[in-house]
Amino acid sequence: MEEKSFIEVHHLSKSFQVRKKREKGHWRGEKKTIRALKDVSFSIDQGELVGYIGPNGAGKSTTVKILSGILTPDAGDVRIDGQTPWKDRKEHVKRIGVVFGQRMQLWWDVPILDSYSLLRDIYRLNDADYTKRLHELTEALGLGSLLRTPLRQLSLGQRMRAELCGSLLHRPRILFLDEPTIGLDAVSKLALRDFLKWENETHHTTILLTTHDMEDMAALCSRVMVLGRGQKLYDGSLSALLREHDRTRSVEIRYDTPDCMPSLPPSVRMHREGDTLHLTYATCDFSTSDLLSMLQKAGAIREMTVQPQSIDYLIADMYREMGL
Amino acid sequence: MDTIRLYIRSMGILIKSQLQYPLSFLLQTLAQLIMEGGEMLAVILLVDRFDHLNQWSAGDLYFFFGLMSVTFYLSECFGRGITGNFPSMVRTGQLDTLLLRPRGILTQVMCSAVDPRRITCIAVGTVSLIIGSRMAHIRWSPARALLLAESIACGFWLILGLFLIEAVLCIHSVKSVEIANALTYGGRSACQYPIDAFPRPLRCLFTVIAPFALVMHIPASHILGKPLFSLPAWVAYVSPLSGILVFGIMAFAFSRAMRFYRSVGS
Repeated sequence: MEEKSFIEVHHLSKSFQVRKKREKGHWRGEKKTIRALKDVSFSIDQGELVGYIGPNGAGKSTTVKILSGILTPDAGDVRIDGQTPWKDRKEHVKRIGVVFGQRMQLWWDVPILDSYSLLRDIYRLNDADYTKRLHELTEALGLGSLLRTPLRQLSLGQRMRAELCGSLLHRPRILFLDEPTIGLDAVSKLALRDFLKWENETHHTTILLTTHDMEDMAALCSRVMVLGRGQKLYDGSLSALLREHDRTRSVEIRYDTPDCMPSLPPSVRMHREGDTLHLTYATCDFSTSDLLSMLQKAGAIREMTVQPQSIDYLIADMYREMGL
Repeated sequence: MDTIRLYIRSMGILIKSQLQYPLSFLLQTLAQLIMEGGEMLAVILLVDRFDHLNQWSAGDLYFFFGLMSVTFYLSECFGRGITGNFPSMVRTGQLDTLLLRPRGILTQVMCSAVDPRRITCIAVGTVSLIIGSRMAHIRWSPARALLLAESIACGFWLILGLFLIEAVLCIHSVKSVEIANALTYGGRSACQYPIDAFPRPLRCLFTVIAPFALVMHIPASHILGKPLFSLPAWVAYVSPLSGILVFGIMAFAFSRAMRFYRSVGS
């Protein structure tokens, strides 16, 4: 018998009807069908930490909503731990935790500890286990001193940590994160990443992370799925994906004499800023040593850096290439 | 049992939230008092001018008014999740978070809001019930007290059931349509007067579709000793159950409608 993965998604499709605004002279608005997902399949093993990326409107949130049982797909099958999410919603949601970066699930005006104890009642957790888990999570998330503060008085970063704690109290085996680092500062982001790694490693929690933040992706996920226009376009390691699209280098160079102008092939883009020259070239055009010798002919080099494109540019290039 | 415990815990948290803004709470509660006091004043003026309406004396009319306002505002107080917040929960996508928890949706909606400001409206209704009872010289017996309690309890579910009509419509249309207000708020305004004061089409509406007459007027007329349409006593005990039936039907329709729920963008 074929071994089944923890999460199995087969040929998932979902479309929405959107009514456009009524135009002048027409009785009613036109209906338009948006196909949010077209035949998406993938599988995820237990304990994996998978990134899910794609431009806005690609269908990421729709996938997460289907996997968490909020939406029913038009076609296709999903098995999570052997069960179909939208068939037995109550049983399913006991085993998952979901954090939406733009939607709060804790109660706004009361101390977060009160919210947690209400969640304990909602999930019917036993006291001993709840106390232990709460202690563990508050420690790991650095929430100890904030437990008696109402949610509304917390900063965005603190709030996100509080939300994470709330969605993990019932020890879900899978965690879905939809843009969790949206709007967070660098410190909060790093803390969040460390925490997710910790949760994944110590509890073997399967995590599916949706984000636009490529740094998050690079730091956390060994495996990435790219979604575009409702279709899965890539599934594999992030480094392989980047290597495939990593074809340009940008160079910053300063000569001893400021007005030095190296003569370079026309395919190299070049502009000057003060006494610094900025070059961009494709790695397939010539080798680095060729470039160096061309640059050295123009004069003595004082300073020089060679950098790959930032991940964001690479992803933007990739989306463009895939026609998104 | 477990669900009731959850409900009580949720209420605790929600009331605590509201008391975070004590001045606002106080002012709004006072505003409610003035509003409902005004409603009662309308009845007082009517009674003062006409002395009676059909067979109903002033005391009877206070009793009917009191029954409606106690029942209606109990629903608005404890069923706030259904009567007030549901359309905005759908519109903002807050409903998603409820779907992610291992409890019934309707239970969670009920647990999601309470409106303690209605306490003053309920107080006005209670005062009106007491005045009406005194003026109409009701001879209270355990059976009659029980009937009053039954009428209020069933009326509570009837009103929530009627508000669910709007909830069901707004699951389909995302935006609140307020068409059902004719039955809910309209029903409250109309049915604070006994049903025989109305022409036939309205009588049908408030007996068959939104059975305020069955849930409130028939038992109340029995308590007042002037049974409507000379119905036998047992009818007064059975007819309020139609309120629970309405709620049951609408709760079923609600769960069916949730299958069509389509959430909103990320």
